Amino acid sequence: MPKIELNDVAQVFWSQSGAVQALTEISLTIEEGELVCIVGPSGCGKSTLLNLIAGLAKPDSGRVLVDGKPVTGPGPDRVVLFQESGLFPWLNSLQNVMFGLKMAGVPEAERSARAEKLLHMVHLSRFTKAWTHELSGGMKQRVALARALATDPGILLMDEPFAALDAQTRDMLHDELENLWARTRKTIVFVTHNVREAVRLGTRVVVMTARPGRVKNIYNIALPRPRHIEDVELVKVAAVIRDDLRAEFLQATHEEGID
Amino acid sequence: MNTPIPEARSAALTRSALTKARKERGERWRTFVIRLAFFGSLIGLWTTLGWLELWDEMAFPFLPQVGSTLWTGIIDQSLLASAAISLQRLAIGYGLALAIGIPLGLLLGRVRWLNDTVGMLALGLQALPSICWLPLAVLWFGLSETAMVFVVVMGALMALTLATRDGVKNMPPLYMRAAQVLGASGWRLYVHVMLPATLPAILTGAKLGWSFAWRSLMAAELLLVGVGLGSLLERGRELHDMSLVVAVMLVIIGVGLLTERWLFSRLEQRFVHRRWGTSA
Repeated sequence: MPKIELNDVAQVFWSQSGAVQALTEISLTIEEGELVCIVGPSGCGKSTLLNLIAGLAKPDSGRVLVDGKPVTGPGPDRVVLFQESGLFPWLNSLQNVMFGLKMAGVPEAERSARAEKLLHMVHLSRFTKAWTHELSGGMKQRVALARALATDPGILLMDEPFAALDAQTRDMLHDELENLWARTRKTIVFVTHNVREAVRLGTRVVVMTARPGRVKNIYNIALPRPRHIEDVELVKVAAVIRDDLRAEFLQATHEEGID
Repeated sequence: MNTPIPEARSAALTRSALTKARKERGERWRTFVIRLAFFGSLIGLWTTLGWLELWDEMAFPFLPQVGSTLWTGIIDQSLLASAAISLQRLAIGYGLALAIGIPLGLLLGRVRWLNDTVGMLALGLQALPSICWLPLAVLWFGLSETAMVFVVVMGALMALTLATRDGVKNMPPLYMRAAQVLGASGWRLYVHVMLPATLPAILTGAKLGWSFAWRSLMAAELLLVGVGLGSLLERGRELHDMSLVVAVMLVIIGVGLLTERWLFSRLEQRFVHRRWGTSA
């Protein structure tokens, strides 16, 4: 049974200028333990797709299944990592990481022990008491990652989580994510607009079309790991996918130009 | 060019931290001295003008009289007792307003139809000085504590409710989504996300509500015969004892200043500025 299954999913948004078809005819199957990256021009509905799997939105038609069961709402088995960390400013790092455990009713002592271990894993042991505004962008995303992992979800949904970070920090977090995935074999869906990042991380790369978003092509990435974002082979594969995407980018800009 | 050896660098760091601490201390001293000078000269001016007898003492009392009234009021505890009674009424009324206003504001921020109806009502009542409720309050509750507390509640409630509601409306939606994917739902979203996320706005509303409550109470005590700071002030008017009037005014100002500086600004420092990284 596939871990995640999307069957002919469509989604419409209502905006001031009327109905906007965000997604259409999306069918996609993701097996357990895969790291699938989704790339597409901006506005193609990548984030919407992630929200549907997360249960933060309901599809207008089609079905979204996780572990063979339809998604009815958000749940701690499918945690989302957002582009902005979404950390709670009224809690310190440790309390942020403990949040999901608290909601799950885990006893206090066990909560803090587990949260400390996770913060140690993301190299932030010295920042357990830090408030969110005292952390750098990369540190915030690390805390957010630790927070997402706290309830040990089977699925991680990542919505351009590294897009706002500098290149060095991003490289480092790519390594950490790859390690984490290799160790835990969680199912990860990673949305990005950066093709190289997608090839760097993914077992498969899904290319989406411009709005209304649909699946254009799926590439299997068989490059050996650990990978580096500047590997020659990786750059070559990325170039092929980028060419595939370019037409879509052009169409998207064209549309925005008319609007 | 030349990298300092670690000990030298840490020494330099310590030095710069010390300089910074010294500078901050100097800054605090400066503020203190300037304030002292300002209020000192204000008192000096009052005293000097009194000596010169530029106006009739019946119109505005001179400092020594006010000072002695304050002193006797503290010694025989009449001022302190009145202040205590007023503060007790304030505590009950304000506490009730907090207990109703914050949950109500959270609900108004989330439930559209409630905001369209009750929110509109609160906005309208906000424009009404709460002392206008006094005639009805007396009719309903008699010349009682309850009538006075009712006026205090009506004074603070609207500001608190509306500030809380606006806090919820301005809250980044990302917090709610993050909390939901982490397994929060139902009432726990209110208690563990909306309430703390709205705290900065709630505190702003609480400050505003407090000053409305304090004013409403003083007005109610002035109008209703009884005990309390407002009533004491009214007695000063009846007896034509302007030094008592001014002494009570000073106590009212004092209570306000103390609450602002010691209660609210500390709460804000601790629960808002330090956490959100905003400056005082």
